[in-house]
Amino acid sequence: MSTFLFAVVSGILFGVFFSLMAIGLNFAFGVMKIVNLAHGDFVMLGAFGAYYALSTFGINPFATMIMEIVVFLVVGVGLYYGIIPRLLRSDDPEMLSLILFFGISQVIEALATLAFGTNPVTLPTNALGQLSFQLFGQAFESSWVISFLVSVVAIGLLYVYLYKTKMGIATRAIMANRDEAAASGIDVNRISAIAFGIALVLAAIAGTLTPFMLGGIYPSVGVNLTITSFSIIVIGSLGNPIGTVVGGLVYGLSLLLMQTYLSSWANMVPYVLLILILLIKPSGLLGKGARNA
Amino acid sequence: MRRNKLSNAIILVVLAVLFILAPLLYPNQSVPFQMMAFMTLAQGVNLLYGFTGYLPFGYVGFFGSGAYGVSILVLLLHWSVIPAVIGGGLFAVVVALLLSPLLRLSGAYFSIGSLAASEIVYYVVSNPNMQNITQGPYGVNLAGIYDPNTSYYAMLVILLIFTAVVMYVKNSTFGMSLLAIKEDPVSAAMAGINVVRRRVAIWLASAFAAGLVGAVYGWYVSVFYPSSVFDLTISIFAIVFTLFGGGGTVLGPIVGTIVLYGLYNTIGVSSPQYFQLIYGLLIVVLVMFLPQGLTSLLKRRGINVP
Amino acid sequence: MQSRFRKGTLWAAAALSGGMLLAGCGTTTSAPASGPAKTKSPTAEISIGTLYASTGSFATSSMPEYQGLQFWINQVNASGGTYVKAAGKKEKIRLVSYNDQSSAQTATSLYNQLITVNHVNMLVADFGSVLTSVAVPIAQEHKQLLFDQSGTGTTFFTPNNPYIVLTSLPTSALWPTSLANYLISQHYKNVAIVYCENDFDQSQDQTLTRLLAKAGITPTYNNAVPTSTSSYTVILHNMAATHPQAVIELGYPNNDISFMQALQASGSTFPTTFTIFPGQLPSLFEKNFGMKGLNNMFTYPAPPLFTVQGVNYGMPIAQFAQAFKKQTGSSPNFLNVAGYNTGLILQKTLATATSLSQKSLRQAVTGFSGSITTLDGKFQINNQGAQIGETLPVGQFTVSNGKLKVNFMS
Repeated sequence: MSTFLFAVVSGILFGVFFSLMAIGLNFAFGVMKIVNLAHGDFVMLGAFGAYYALSTFGINPFATMIMEIVVFLVVGVGLYYGIIPRLLRSDDPEMLSLILFFGISQVIEALATLAFGTNPVTLPTNALGQLSFQLFGQAFESSWVISFLVSVVAIGLLYVYLYKTKMGIATRAIMANRDEAAASGIDVNRISAIAFGIALVLAAIAGTLTPFMLGGIYPSVGVNLTITSFSIIVIGSLGNPIGTVVGGLVYGLSLLLMQTYLSSWANMVPYVLLILILLIKPSGLLGKGARNA
Repeated sequence: MRRNKLSNAIILVVLAVLFILAPLLYPNQSVPFQMMAFMTLAQGVNLLYGFTGYLPFGYVGFFGSGAYGVSILVLLLHWSVIPAVIGGGLFAVVVALLLSPLLRLSGAYFSIGSLAASEIVYYVVSNPNMQNITQGPYGVNLAGIYDPNTSYYAMLVILLIFTAVVMYVKNSTFGMSLLAIKEDPVSAAMAGINVVRRRVAIWLASAFAAGLVGAVYGWYVSVFYPSSVFDLTISIFAIVFTLFGGGGTVLGPIVGTIVLYGLYNTIGVSSPQYFQLIYGLLIVVLVMFLPQGLTSLLKRRGINVP
Repeated sequence: MQSRFRKGTLWAAAALSGGMLLAGCGTTTSAPASGPAKTKSPTAEISIGTLYASTGSFATSSMPEYQGLQFWINQVNASGGTYVKAAGKKEKIRLVSYNDQSSAQTATSLYNQLITVNHVNMLVADFGSVLTSVAVPIAQEHKQLLFDQSGTGTTFFTPNNPYIVLTSLPTSALWPTSLANYLISQHYKNVAIVYCENDFDQSQDQTLTRLLAKAGITPTYNNAVPTSTSSYTVILHNMAATHPQAVIELGYPNNDISFMQALQASGSTFPTTFTIFPGQLPSLFEKNFGMKGLNNMFTYPAPPLFTVQGVNYGMPIAQFAQAFKKQTGSSPNFLNVAGYNTGLILQKTLATATSLSQKSLRQAVTGFSGSITTLDGKFQINNQGAQIGETLPVGQFTVSNGKLKVNFMS
């Protein structure tokens, strides 16, 4: 029983962290209908940022997080204006974005390998601070609890942005229909550029927490993170950022419960769930209506 | 129609001559072999994507099924090579049949759904509990049937067959009906086209292509691990080559593979330390400046692309 | 329409042949850049071909092994070359190397390139069984001896294939003998094992559980996890729930790092905790977990963590460590040692082979098998080419006077 409860609570903590990791990918898809295959590589860069800041300059991961928010916002907006309007003019931007960002992912991984080498690096888990958390008589890892809290705050802020600010409402209008939003006088490019910047910022925040959640960080880790993020957002609902939280919870719980009871099959579970959910409800758990062609 | 037949025949003959001559002119047979493998995979992606709009990210699942199909038929059931290769291709068809409900999805949902499906096949094949059938994570050694020369020509035959299949589909009423479905599935259904059956047919044909390529690939290398035949980059290469050349044409995937895979090998041998960087930049630049594929350059000039 | 059609078809033919030329020429013209083998000219050098993975899942292990081999080549060339018996004089070494990026597909054509285009005199495999596997049939087909550095897949070594030689460490199935003996000697009843689903780790688990079963020990926890596992927190918690006296994690370096991070975060301790790679890559683990994190951990210590006695060929470990640091600026780890050791085996082969034909290279290796001991241990192969001379002890890290030490248990 205690192993069951431990897996469930850990699954929730782990799952919400993964929701944060995946939500930027989903947000970019929702606004621009592009698939950022380099998402995991941005997470990896965020993680290396936290690593170098702490190990070389002794900068606290939270301070790094704030610096990275600024840097990734600028990078995201720049990247948007550099490539995306051009991409959106093509016949099939959704599919072409897969290839374009595959290329970007290769470039990032190659540059990261030149800069950081290939050895995995870790940070001591207590660098995030100590926070004792007991539930059902069991102690949970401090870094997991802190990462969970940060994730909840970040996702909450995205929610506030989307539903309570003028720009957020404009963003949602673009998500509903890009052409109509443009026709009603919304500066589609400016709002989308900021949305892309926010997507990368969310990746970076998850990145600064990654060394505390996932063991070693190395340049080629990005691909795995992208694929996991993908599964999560499709389980939740593609294009609906809040659905990602559900996807993350389903992922975290199923993964850690399988690790407990049938460990050799554990990594397969998210994919089985993904297929099952897609076949039963093609639009994902929180999707509105099926997207039938 | 006759003109099409002539240009198609020329393409097939040129392909056959090139790949028969290639190993005589250039001693590293693996390069033309893998080029044929990727070209056939690209044609398989083209069958599905070019005519239905479904982009299968998990295409490698069929490739790996084909390779493991051969290993099971040869090592466990002691079949001889050629029936085992065909059987390997059929393994992939069976997997595709099981996964055909995926066709209910569209766009990125389908792409990611098929990716998840291929990961499932990979985890099943590599699981230690499957050791008696697939050897699990230990990998497969088919030293008994190793024959790089015969398998080279087998790959050429498969390439020619599936190039011809794409030619047939492109010029047949079946292909027209697929394009009609791609354009507007509801109207196509109302016009009496059996949308589901046609989509499933092309899906199975596309899986058969990948299964046969995987089977011959397994035969050619003769030792492989689950992680090497379910390597996601195989899907990504086949897709990138197709889109770069231009989907929905016979020539697009062929030219896309020759140019991009040729460059891949050139960079790999000439400047190995910056391999990934140069290749990544190249893809970014190509998508930015040639988003509709190479064949669009010709179409824009009003030239009929076979 | 007629002319347009003609244009299309002509263009098609031109594109096809042009593209093929591009693909072919690219590789042919660029080959001289990395240098084709000029073995037949009298002023020849010895060409050695190998692959490395600068990116991807094997990069962590492949690069240090490659650096070890490069170090040996630099040493040899700085001293005017190595003695080649077949030529009756010293010759310099030229390295021809390509980057397979951890992809078995890419490695296939690159190994082929080394054999059929570059015609290298000696072929050295990349790290690990996956990247070595594709070279085995190609080497056999072209009758080219493959110097396998660390690909220990048991299916590689067959009686009818003389074209493979394992230069370092025995096949992984033999590794856990010392570990099993240690656990049995401690009279442990509760042993918990988690291993990764790959041939390297699973073969060790099978050997370990078989040896333990002989002594009447059934592990209380023995589960496989996918090699891509990066979070061991829950697994470790579940292992701890069986109150084990020994916790054993068999993985690749990334798995061992994730496992140790989870261990450190949980604060749990067990009488014996074992992982494979701290013994081979101590500086990597020390950098990540500090001496404190390694204190009391059990591992398979490998040179330079221990000093092989009776070295009669090449530099002993202390001298190697000094020279390596001087050349590269960093202290060597085991994979550097293994790469250097490969070089020593190549050196001895060249010094004793009567001709440069692959058959006589292989005969030369058989000839000196069992008679040389390098800093990596005794070099001895069986008739299939597999390594049987080197063994791996079990050791425990301890910290004394601010220094990391290893106590040997066997």
